[in-house]
Amino acid sequence: MSFDPIPYDLLGAFKYFLVVFGSAMLIAVVVCLIVGTLTRGAKGFTGVFRGIFDFFVQITHVSCRRIWSLTVLTIREALRQKILFVFIIFAVLFMFAGWFLSGAADRPDLQVQSYIDFVLKAISWLVIPIMLLLACWSLPEDIKKRTIHTVVTKPAYRIEIVMGRMLGFTLLGSAILVVMGTIGYIWINRQVPETAQYKLVSKVPVYGEIVFTDREGALTKTGLNVGDIWDFRSYIEGATKARAIYKFTGIDESDAIDDKLVLESSFEAFRTHKGNMEKGGILYQFIFVNEDKNLRVPSRPLINKEYSDNVLEVKRKLKYDNPEGKGEGDAGTEIDIFDDVVDKDGNLTVEVQCLEAGQLLGMARPDLFVRTPDRAFLAGYSKAVFGIWLPMVLVIMLGVTISCFVKGPVAILTTLTIVLVGFMSKEYMTEILSGQMQASGAIEAWYRLITHMNSQTALPDGPVKFIIEIVDAGIINFLWLCQQVIPNFGIFSNMREYVIKGFDVSWNAALLPGIITTAAYILPCLIVSFYSLKLRELEAK
Amino acid sequence: MNKLTSKQRKLAYVIAIIVLLIPVIWLGMPSTGEEGSGGELAQLRVKHELGESTLGDVDPSSASMNFVLLGLRGIATNLLWMDANDYQKRKEWAKLRSTVDSIILLQPHYMKVWDFQGWNLAYNVSAEWDAVEDRYFWVKEGIKFLNEGVQRNERFPELDWKVANLHGQKVGRSDEWRLFRKFYKVDPDTERYEDGPDPEINPERLDNYQVAKEHFLLANEKELKHKQHLQMRMLFRASPWHAQFDYANAMQREGTFGKQRTDAWAQGFKDWTTIFGREEFITPKGPIVLEWTEDDIKDLANRDENISEADVRHWTNRYQDTSNYRFWRTRALSESETETIDAHKAIYDGEQLFRSGKFDEANVQLEKGMQLYAKVLNKYPSLLSEDLAIEEGLQAIILWRYIHDLKGLPIPDSYPLKPLWNKEQGRVPQLENDLRRRYGIQ
Repeated sequence: MSFDPIPYDLLGAFKYFLVVFGSAMLIAVVVCLIVGTLTRGAKGFTGVFRGIFDFFVQITHVSCRRIWSLTVLTIREALRQKILFVFIIFAVLFMFAGWFLSGAADRPDLQVQSYIDFVLKAISWLVIPIMLLLACWSLPEDIKKRTIHTVVTKPAYRIEIVMGRMLGFTLLGSAILVVMGTIGYIWINRQVPETAQYKLVSKVPVYGEIVFTDREGALTKTGLNVGDIWDFRSYIEGATKARAIYKFTGIDESDAIDDKLVLESSFEAFRTHKGNMEKGGILYQFIFVNEDKNLRVPSRPLINKEYSDNVLEVKRKLKYDNPEGKGEGDAGTEIDIFDDVVDKDGNLTVEVQCLEAGQLLGMARPDLFVRTPDRAFLAGYSKAVFGIWLPMVLVIMLGVTISCFVKGPVAILTTLTIVLVGFMSKEYMTEILSGQMQASGAIEAWYRLITHMNSQTALPDGPVKFIIEIVDAGIINFLWLCQQVIPNFGIFSNMREYVIKGFDVSWNAALLPGIITTAAYILPCLIVSFYSLKLRELEAK
Repeated sequence: MNKLTSKQRKLAYVIAIIVLLIPVIWLGMPSTGEEGSGGELAQLRVKHELGESTLGDVDPSSASMNFVLLGLRGIATNLLWMDANDYQKRKEWAKLRSTVDSIILLQPHYMKVWDFQGWNLAYNVSAEWDAVEDRYFWVKEGIKFLNEGVQRNERFPELDWKVANLHGQKVGRSDEWRLFRKFYKVDPDTERYEDGPDPEINPERLDNYQVAKEHFLLANEKELKHKQHLQMRMLFRASPWHAQFDYANAMQREGTFGKQRTDAWAQGFKDWTTIFGREEFITPKGPIVLEWTEDDIKDLANRDENISEADVRHWTNRYQDTSNYRFWRTRALSESETETIDAHKAIYDGEQLFRSGKFDEANVQLEKGMQLYAKVLNKYPSLLSEDLAIEEGLQAIILWRYIHDLKGLPIPDSYPLKPLWNKEQGRVPQLENDLRRRYGIQ
């Protein structure tokens, strides 16, 4: 596993939301008050508050029955627009998927990953754009054709129109997603050969925290750097005191599989000499440590098979052969892994050491975990499909909201831009804004390009520099604003990664952030769409 | 406003359509498949062999993907290429493989894409894996990938050459060559391939160098029709015969000294002198042949009045030097002789005995090998122009000297191959290092 499932900071996220949302609302109210007062005097000032009040009135008086009617209407309209033709493309894709997926056919373990990746990508690439088009096109088309009049003349709130649209598209999208998800699930099951069916599971890992010791045995935060361009893993040197120490918390009997503690690892080898290559990998060893009882229980030497799941099943009761001659246990004593090795607070400490001189073993936090009883593949898969549903809902909300204040084509382009930036450039923006990426401003870059000035030379002092700095600062601030407002769609694709690699989707590190991200846009979208629709001249073409 | 009536406007449209259709039909009419049929563009396509089907096998998925992308395939390829780099960096091998396949769907006739990615899979990705079985799997992936490239591109002899080179050099000359050559005949996935080779790689259960030779021959055949841009033409065309020598040499490296090995050298000599040696190559002073007789020199000089016999001799000599022609000729000839075989066998046995710690027996065998090898070198001094031949002798001396050191025996003043030892001192430190690693000598 090459990604690090870091638990989501819910409280931090909520605070962040309050700051961004609160300040945006405050700025909006202040601007409205100023504009209102300047254009209509005191009437304008009170009008703003009336408008705010109006939203609260409507939101508290929404009728489920009316929303449902509008939802049904939305679904009917979408069906009339032949939305279900999407299944034809879906069917064609699946019929010819074999052409594109024959790559790693000789390695069923790699092939399974390709199949799952394909199914989930195909579903999201079909459903999300279709729902985006529908959501962006629907309202402006109604306004253009004036069919909206049949609704707005009825006793229905504007907010209900918006909610009805959002709900209608969401229900329709959900139905399509369920059908596609089911077909995809059956397809994967049929496509994966019998020998690789064992790969279709949802492993439930318990991750620990990792620290290292250097070759002298002193604690360090990281191990050695072997010059790998990807610094995800750091390395411990073989046949020295270098160790990687994993600490797992909350381990008890319920984590056992068939009364065994199962550890799964995927370390990376780095050889400084060829060594014995016929063994199939570098030798390493786990040492289970309980400081309270001064107990150190080494495992047998293990062979590290790279990029595979190395599984060690430790029987609950094991003979302690006391090789290091210290601690409570005597040679031959039987110990219980959960009672004796796991300490009284439920912590399990595992040291990893490389046994071969001159060879190094690389590891990161997620490279070793305690595997608890697996869930069915369906469990992880459905969560991954849910991970498509969430961005779909978000896209629908954004699409409907934007279509409330601009025409169809513009709404499509705007939503598409937001989605693409959210999917592809969010990390890039964060890198620029956090200073991780050494980047000059856009105008400065352009200036350097046309004057052939390299990035090491300082800009000459003078008005040009002043103007460039001012404009670039403005652009960077705009980028900052975009970064705050545009949703991070990357969060949702993480869920796919879990299932592809045979894991259950983590609640803390993937599902929760996805749900929270989607939920965070509900209120802002409703507010923006409500006021846009309220202020919009619905008679205009 | 327009003064034309609706009818007149429609008529004008029809006329405009017909007028525009004439150049469209003239230019773009599709070919019926017969020569000279179709519009101007279709004829040009046939003339310059630019049609999809004339370039190689047509992959419908590739063709349809390029059609759907219209002019955006360059951008799409670049994006995919960046993805592939990223996957490689993050060691996502399955994704890398499928992304590379997608790139190929978009650029099926761009030779460098096949060349680079095939090499990348067989060399870079393979080296990232720790277990030799896994490394071999990725070498096979590289070969299979390039094989596909060959099928899709009939006009690139370079691709056949690259395939051959993977079969030959990658399998036979890597650090892991012993296991690779073993896996070549019995794939590590024994269950799937039933204790045989992967049929996509080695359908006829041959030696890797024999398969390499077959592919080099295919490359040579294609090279007669389509120019290659890989290396000097003579060297390119020498490849199959070098593969034959490698085949014979590999048996020797593995300690097989029977008839099969002698036959392989004999076959190599025959191929080298009667096929490669008799092939004409164009030099700045006309054609030459590497295996020449006086009559050939005269005949070649007589073809052009501006070329003298001295010119032909000069250029023949230069080309022989470039291709190391005389060395390989002599080597192949000498390897069929009993004395040479005995020399190799004694040195090989000495090394094996050394490896198993039987130093006395090793010493005897190495001394015997050195004596015989000295005789061979005296008989064929031109062998001393080739690295492999020199290193074989030096390795024997190094081990022999090491045994003497170990036993506290003085090195005699005179011993076989001493002139070679004195002459090639520059190579000794590196060879000593290699042997230390190979035999675990401290």
